Amino acid sequence: MVVFALFIISKAGGLIYNREFHSGLSKLTSNDYLMLAGSFHGMHAITKQLCPAMPAPVNPSSTAAVLAPSPFSGRPSGLEVLESTHFRMQCFQTLTGTKFLLFTEPQQPNIDSMMRKIYELYADFVMKNPFYTVEMPIRCEKFDRGLDGFVKVRS
Amino acid sequence: MVLYSFYIFDRHTECIYSRRWTPRPVSSSSKAARPQSGSSITSSGDAPTGRKGMSHADDEKLIFGLVFSLRNMVQKLGGDDDTFLAYRTGEYKLHYYETPTRMKFVMLTDTKQNHLRAYLHQIWANLYVEFVVKNPLAPVEHPGGIGVANELFEKGLEAFITAVLPA
Repeated sequence: MVVFALFIISKAGGLIYNREFHSGLSKLTSNDYLMLAGSFHGMHAITKQLCPAMPAPVNPSSTAAVLAPSPFSGRPSGLEVLESTHFRMQCFQTLTGTKFLLFTEPQQPNIDSMMRKIYELYADFVMKNPFYTVEMPIRCEKFDRGLDGFVKVRS
Repeated sequence: MVLYSFYIFDRHTECIYSRRWTPRPVSSSSKAARPQSGSSITSSGDAPTGRKGMSHADDEKLIFGLVFSLRNMVQKLGGDDDTFLAYRTGEYKLHYYETPTRMKFVMLTDTKQNHLRAYLHQIWANLYVEFVVKNPLAPVEHPGGIGVANELFEKGLEAFITAVLPA
């Protein structure tokens, strides 16, 4: 089981965190990563637009399993999983619009629980850090170490 | 399987074939998910639910731009031999297949499918090449979709959708 990388994109479309765990994705310059994050932000918005059918009304039993139950249940969700031959990308958007992109192997199970754990680490070590300003690049050693420990234990 | 729409784009970014099936109400019945052919074909009539002021031509342009950018993103991250297969949102799933001549086949279905690359490849090889490319009366390029939506292709596509695609 391989986790390639984690990107965090702010609600304005800027890349605020970029971390590679395993080599497997191409090496890009940091400028390229910023551009990718920005264009992904736009593509994510388009995938919402293209929704061919209105989302099904959510039944209460299933909401418990959802990572962040949305108060806007009638709104389309946008891209969640992208598959390619070499990797699989899971995108999780928080209620405030921050996007977490997790790149894994194509046949990776349990990405949802992994995403939940990463969100938890983010909430604990980034958002509760008094020296962190929102929408700014994340430089929190504890977050880094938490991710490291978590990904290593899993692989 | 619920099929929402199907598009073919040529290498000049133009949509040369598109077909839509009106989505069924979600809670109608668990079986019979696939819309029946014939009556359900809509050329321009059905208003897309949940959006205002978007024509089907706008949709086609958006889809082309989207798959083009996603394909480039995938190639940038995964290397040149990586190909974009599909993406899923909470509401639908988009499947993608690109031929060596850069024609793009795009299909929108419900979210419960595996990626349909193999099926899109079959549509290209068994239907498009047979009935459009090998048609002596069809032009080499298809500006505005001329020569693509001929009777044999339409019939073949319909048969393919009812017989071959996973239920």
